Amino acid sequence: MAAGQLALACTMTPLLAFVVAFVLFRNNHAMAIATSLLGGAVSLAAAALLFIEGPQSQPITMEWFASGDTQIFFGFILDGPSLLMGTIVAFVSFVVQVYSLGYMAQDSGRGRYFAFLSLFAWSMLSFVYAASLLQTFIFWELVGLASFLLIGFWYRKPSAVAAARKAFIMTRVGDVGLFLGVILLLEAGGTLDIVTINSPEMLVTLGPKVELIVALLFVGIVGKSAQFPLHTWLPDAMEGPTPVSALLHSATMVAAGVFLFARFHPLFMAAEDAMGFALMIAAVTTVLASTMAMVATDIKKVLAYSSISQLGYMIMALAAGGLFAGLFHLTTHAIFKALLFLSAGAFIHKVGSNDMVAIGRAGGRQLKTTTLGLVVGGAALAGIPPMAGFFSKEAVLHVLGADGFTAALGAGYLAAFMTAYYTFRMIFLVTRPNDASEASPAEPVDASHAHGDPTSTMRVPIALLSLGAVALGIGADALAGYLGLEAPHASLQEMAPAIGVALSGVAVAWWDFGRSGSAQRGFLRGAPAVERLFVNGWYIDAFYKAVVARGVEAIAVVCHALDVRAIDRTTDDMGQGALASGQAASGLQSGNLSRYIALAAVITGLLVAWVSNA
Amino acid sequence: MNLEVLVMFSLLLFSIGLYGVVIRRNLIAVLIGVELMLNAASINFMAFGALHASDPTMGPIFVLFIIGLAAAEVAIALSIVLSVYRQRRAIRVEQLTELKG
Repeated sequence: MAAGQLALACTMTPLLAFVVAFVLFRNNHAMAIATSLLGGAVSLAAAALLFIEGPQSQPITMEWFASGDTQIFFGFILDGPSLLMGTIVAFVSFVVQVYSLGYMAQDSGRGRYFAFLSLFAWSMLSFVYAASLLQTFIFWELVGLASFLLIGFWYRKPSAVAAARKAFIMTRVGDVGLFLGVILLLEAGGTLDIVTINSPEMLVTLGPKVELIVALLFVGIVGKSAQFPLHTWLPDAMEGPTPVSALLHSATMVAAGVFLFARFHPLFMAAEDAMGFALMIAAVTTVLASTMAMVATDIKKVLAYSSISQLGYMIMALAAGGLFAGLFHLTTHAIFKALLFLSAGAFIHKVGSNDMVAIGRAGGRQLKTTTLGLVVGGAALAGIPPMAGFFSKEAVLHVLGADGFTAALGAGYLAAFMTAYYTFRMIFLVTRPNDASEASPAEPVDASHAHGDPTSTMRVPIALLSLGAVALGIGADALAGYLGLEAPHASLQEMAPAIGVALSGVAVAWWDFGRSGSAQRGFLRGAPAVERLFVNGWYIDAFYKAVVARGVEAIAVVCHALDVRAIDRTTDDMGQGALASGQAASGLQSGNLSRYIALAAVITGLLVAWVSNA
Repeated sequence: MNLEVLVMFSLLLFSIGLYGVVIRRNLIAVLIGVELMLNAASINFMAFGALHASDPTMGPIFVLFIIGLAAAEVAIALSIVLSVYRQRRAIRVEQLTELKG
């Protein structure tokens, strides 16, 4: 089959599955799920075939519409990054669908859930393969919509609805920047074709405007990839079902921002000031999110904060010029973070609580596959060799070190230490419960939410992803060759600090949480003020509530007053005036024939007089 | 004959008709007023036709039409008056103000 047809099959099958599952099988869960799964399998097969076929030098496009001299194309770019990303997306989506078979088996809305998963897969895959920036933007927004639907899937739960709304609105703040960037780019460059935009001639055309355009596009990335200061939606988004978190907050939705960065890497690299800004934002994000993860008690929150922090790593690498390092970390992170979320989901499924202490005390470690997944994924996240995460994080740090971004490198090492610490804090809390420790579950276990042991459809994806999290690291060179990029080769000496930092993080976590007789409270209890700061997420959300929300409220009050006093009054008065004048004029209509005729005669006389005078 | 005299006569006739239409309360009398106004118009046609038109038959043709129309109009108007009287037992104008605003 031609590559174009394959790409079409890959992107359109999930849409078809969504429509069929959502429209035809509204009340038939089994059929809806089967349709969605089939769609996922077909699109995964198509994505894999495309991946095997290898990168195409030319994008496949057709003209969509033309406005003046500007032609807008619709089509697919099948180069290394998009093929890689497309395969990851299709794979993780399918794995999550299979996992959801078990996880959502008892949910009364599971048909709708699977339909939404298909909708999401369609948006995300189309986004990845898009050949024009307008297409990218459209599917970027559709990804936002699908994530809104999935985060707010349990729409009867007020917190889920609030979280969905928050995710939607906060990413929208970033999207405004993105949209402005797209418009500016179209105006200055005259095209939205991605290949043309990335060409060196485009940089000449754009001139100094490139800084502003890239900065605006980056604002969109900040929103979507949950970077500081728009990161607060992601932890809240954990209100959605856990497989959704695995899909959205590891491999796909939040990675969309990073992927956009990689997509326009040549353009972004031309804007040095904007890249310095991006590097700073990403470094701050990486450290900030890690500090929050260190004190979170909810297992999903730990993973959410770690996602934010790892996305920061990717953006740091990309901003420093390491396209391969960024994409490689994106790949490994997609696998091991999906693994961690799915493992966490299995614990939650079994115990009925998100609290790590509660999961540990309820015997979470008896779930062998799940615990294995948690440990393997955790080791990968912490950057313990020879896990995949170690190689990719090492690549990122290597890029930062080689190009002399000292501050960012420092942030990277600091975050790497904290990552190892909080990851193993999570692992030890779950696997080495200690009833005598000072730790207490923040929330009581709700037995009604416990659904028993994970089913085989849940265990197989965990095992599969565990394998990936172990094996992917060795594939760095092969992947670099595929992408046509150069993999950084670090000597053992260069790797030593990263290994040392990770192991010391693990050691501290062992002392605090792992060893028998440990207090399981963490070293931060020595500084309660700092701990409070971290627990409250540096008061960023509180700041938004106090300043931004109140500011918006003040504006809303003014608008409301204007609406009531000015606009409503004017329209009311106009209506009243028309009514009153009508009332007055109706007196003329007496119904008396003689009076009508007299009036007609008088008016005619006046008219005649007027005409003959003129 | 003098055109001015004829036009003044027709104006007088028209004014009398209009006066009748506006002032009289009886529907039949109103109709008579209408007839007077139509005849005033006929006299105008005859006068201008006889004294000013290139073809002197123009005036009488119009007048014949007006007479025919007036006959038809009277027939319809009288039957309406009759029907109004049957329904309401009244043919006074100020009693028939159903259609006021």
